[in-house]
Amino acid sequence: MALIAFLYQFADSFAFLVLCAAGLAIIFGMMGVINLAHGEFIMLGAYATAISAHLGIPLPLAMACGTVAAAGAGIILERLVIRHLYGRPLDSIIATWAISLIASQGMLIIAGPTIPGIATPLGSFAIGNLTFSTYRILLVGAALCVLGSLYYLFVHTRYGIYARATIQAPDMARALGLNTDIVYCATFGLGAGLAGLAGALYAPTMTLVPTMGAGFVIPAFITVIVGGGDVLTGTAPAAGILGIAQSALTFKYGTLIGQVGLLLAVILAIRVLPRGISEWIARRAS
Amino acid sequence: MHPTTIQSARERTMRIEPMMKCLMITLLCSLCLIGTAALAVETPIKIGLLEDSTGDFAAAGIPKVHGVELAVAEINAHGGVLGRKLEIIYYDTQSDNRRYQEFARRVIYQDKVDVLFGAFSSASREAVRPIVDQAKQLYFYNNEYEGGVCDKNVFFSGEVPDQVLSKLVPWTMDRFGKNVYTIAADYNFGQISAEWIRKFVAEHHGKMVGQEFIPLSVSQFNQTISNIQAAKPDILMTLMIGANQVSFFQQAAAANLTTPMASFVNGPTFYEHKQLPPPAMNNMYIAANYMEELDTPENHAFVGRWHAKYPNEKYISQVGEDSYVGVYLYVKGVEKAGTTEKAAVIKALESGGMCVNAPEGQVCVDPKTHHTSHTISLMQVLPNHSLKRLEVWKGVQPSWLAEAGCDLTKHADQSQYTPSNPPSRK
Amino acid sequence: MDSAEGILNGGVLRGGWRLTGILRLLNGTQTLGRSRSFWSAVGLVLVIASIFGITSNPFQIGNAAYFLVWTFMALGLCVMWGYAGILSFGQTAFFGLAGYAYSVITINFGDSSGLTLMALLVSLGVTAMFAGFVGYFMFYGGVTDVFVAIITLATTLVFETFLAQTAGPEWSIGKARLNGFNGMTGMPQLAIRWLGSEVRLDGRLLFFVLLVAVTVVYLGLRILVNSRFGRALVAIRENPLRAAMLGFNVRAHQLVAFVIGSTLAGLSGVMYVAWGQYITPSSMGLYSAVLPVIWVAVGGRKDLTAALIGTLVVLYLSQALAIYGSQYALVLLGAILLAVVMLAPDGFVVSAARGLLKWRHTTVLGRRRTDPAESSKKHADAR
Repeated sequence: MALIAFLYQFADSFAFLVLCAAGLAIIFGMMGVINLAHGEFIMLGAYATAISAHLGIPLPLAMACGTVAAAGAGIILERLVIRHLYGRPLDSIIATWAISLIASQGMLIIAGPTIPGIATPLGSFAIGNLTFSTYRILLVGAALCVLGSLYYLFVHTRYGIYARATIQAPDMARALGLNTDIVYCATFGLGAGLAGLAGALYAPTMTLVPTMGAGFVIPAFITVIVGGGDVLTGTAPAAGILGIAQSALTFKYGTLIGQVGLLLAVILAIRVLPRGISEWIARRAS
Repeated sequence: MHPTTIQSARERTMRIEPMMKCLMITLLCSLCLIGTAALAVETPIKIGLLEDSTGDFAAAGIPKVHGVELAVAEINAHGGVLGRKLEIIYYDTQSDNRRYQEFARRVIYQDKVDVLFGAFSSASREAVRPIVDQAKQLYFYNNEYEGGVCDKNVFFSGEVPDQVLSKLVPWTMDRFGKNVYTIAADYNFGQISAEWIRKFVAEHHGKMVGQEFIPLSVSQFNQTISNIQAAKPDILMTLMIGANQVSFFQQAAAANLTTPMASFVNGPTFYEHKQLPPPAMNNMYIAANYMEELDTPENHAFVGRWHAKYPNEKYISQVGEDSYVGVYLYVKGVEKAGTTEKAAVIKALESGGMCVNAPEGQVCVDPKTHHTSHTISLMQVLPNHSLKRLEVWKGVQPSWLAEAGCDLTKHADQSQYTPSNPPSRK
Repeated sequence: MDSAEGILNGGVLRGGWRLTGILRLLNGTQTLGRSRSFWSAVGLVLVIASIFGITSNPFQIGNAAYFLVWTFMALGLCVMWGYAGILSFGQTAFFGLAGYAYSVITINFGDSSGLTLMALLVSLGVTAMFAGFVGYFMFYGGVTDVFVAIITLATTLVFETFLAQTAGPEWSIGKARLNGFNGMTGMPQLAIRWLGSEVRLDGRLLFFVLLVAVTVVYLGLRILVNSRFGRALVAIRENPLRAAMLGFNVRAHQLVAFVIGSTLAGLSGVMYVAWGQYITPSSMGLYSAVLPVIWVAVGGRKDLTAALIGTLVVLYLSQALAIYGSQYALVLLGAILLAVVMLAPDGFVVSAARGLLKWRHTTVLGRRRTDPAESSKKHADAR
């Protein structure tokens, strides 16, 4: 009974970290852009989903709208601002922080301090005298789906090969005739879209305020950093380890220790594996 | 010249002189009076206002600004105070405690306001209070908070936990049962309110079956929900603060948590029953001094006036009404004192019987503690998120602080006390 | 030459303990602004600031002192980040640690001049020790680049989360209650003994003390970054591997830079408490942690003068926007920052300085071309 409850907590924690971090893993882990506006893409996805749902669009479609809206915003941003910042990670900090300020406070001016939320679908199920939300199991499924799709995308599709080539050796890729501009643009859009997807998926479980992204930014960054550059060999195991740490501590000692413990686990993890998990795995593999 | 002529000439001059003197003095006096009267009519009474219109607390701050603006507009339409108009000098503090420090100094020392209104979170009030006390500035803090501040310069138009929990806890325990579980935000307001819940539960022969304190940044509550279900309480008291924590209600509804909930925090200030989709707040029992849905003629009129001025207002929250009432309390004090001089107004407000007819009912200043008595309403949230009032208590006094020893009419003070750290009896 | 102490001593002593040798470092190559006109401008600024300090009203003085409080943190970050290449988001952690330490000590032991100064020194000492500990943990564990940023960010968030829940009476150190999210108030201002009596540093006095302190710290850091130690830091920033191969103890240099930068953040913390008698955990949160990075980056992180000017400008600008910009203040601030980073990526002060130099250079060249003596010589040569 307690074991089932704990497994549920862990799976939920894992899903949260994977979904938060997937977009950032692409934008930061792969492209090297430190995106402090990550939370705002999530907020945009959530807002677009909620607004579409209130207009009558069925929820799965509304979530697709949210994802596309965030991806679109990402592409626009890339063309206007981000493409000047490749190779300048420290400048991308200021630029993306400024964008996050403009986006969150701009949304406050446009839509007010809060917008009506969406009800969580799919009801609940009971195990013993404990009840759980079914939707959160779906979130776990979504997280695994995202990981699987990213694997397929980057390993088995042409775009994936182009993207990895461009990011690993941009000059060589250009010399071989690849239009690296389009690849960068598409990859950034993909990262933004994944962030929007996280927002869309979590929209039915949270209050929708312009600053809601702030609650996702820190978990996303720590997962990506601990994981290292690669989404699959980095983010997933990092989400697993940090998810266990957080859910175990919360289970035993409460949410405060869970939060503090998570941050301390990050500090330890970076100290032990200074270049992230994916680099460690890569070194073991070679 | 003939001596008598000189003599009589001097006498004549001397007789005229006093008359001239008199005339001149009268003329001068009238000029002065006209002058000062003219000046007084021209200089408005300055109300300094520091609220968060942007940042994390914007949802609370915006109605507070509107409440003060509406009150000022109404009072000015009726001729102002002592023949003078009220003027608001407003700074947006961006939910940043440092801005409170910067702008409190500005509004006191540069703009030289007659009264300061503002601050929402207790942290921002505590940032402002040292500045206010140093300058002996009259200051109104216009929302509910954890209670316990005994400060000569500060007046409180909001309610305090002991006031409202003294009614909410016994009522819910009588209705639902003796086992109580509290979930609270893990900071001063949450912890002190939880302390009051424990106290009232014990007084009413109940049992605390669990307490959880949750940091403000947490937005995922699976473990909390499981803990609550494992403890099987009759009532769940909620003190969730901020957008992250309020997500609890949706997640609990999704997990089919059916325990009746009670709160004096969730609903009145951030209008969760309007933000969250039904039925997230179903089965919640709210105790508040004001909710927009109060079904009285005075409140309907008030809501009408508010919506006429602010048609896009999302919700008229309790803190908005508290701010509106704060202005009227200040004005009452000024009218009684006959001046805006701060010490005189403080004395007037301490004189007893200083009450205003607020949209909620009558609100009176307690002379000893500078807090206010309120009408507490108990509202049930229905599945479609409409409200039904089940109970009303009028004239509920903020008694604990005075009973514990705070008496500002006798000794000035500037401290904050808690149930476990009361003022020592002098 | 391996210990940190050895590096510092060697660097400074290399020119001999002669005052001129050290003063010459003020005009070294690592800092912008070396000409006589620059130093005259600095002198002029100090004179204007002093006049301002004497003539303006109490609010303006207090506000100006408030801006000066943050400069130590910015200068410290400039040394760490601009010169040593260590991006730390943890300045606020040390700010808060020192601020809370000062508060706890003064509330417990009193507010006489000796005690407040002792509290200042002890707080700085505690901060330096903790910075040493964190720095050792990071640099001697091989953590570099953005990972340092994350660890320091996590550190400041741990502080904030932990302190925000210390509201209960059990959370007190001696007489001082940490008081959680509401923060601590009631700390005394700094005081000094002057001509036999206690003088509280408030208002005008605090402003002048801060002005002197900022000047001293600025000049001291100029000397530091132009010394052998400073140039080693730059070498390490540019290419740590090469620096290591050339024989520099990279980790020791980084540790020392980190401790210096973080202790300066602690100085800001104590001064903030001395100015406002208030501190909360929110000053260690995510938003607060990013701010120093923004100030320094906007001015120009690779130069002390640029970082200092940039910090003061951004602080003043964001306050002005908050006063006059109503609800658009933060959006406008974001837009301005974005414009600066896109148009002047090295920082607007650095770009402005470069522009100024270029203008002077072309003007001088232009003048030379039309110099009659020169042109007649040319004509003479041409014949």
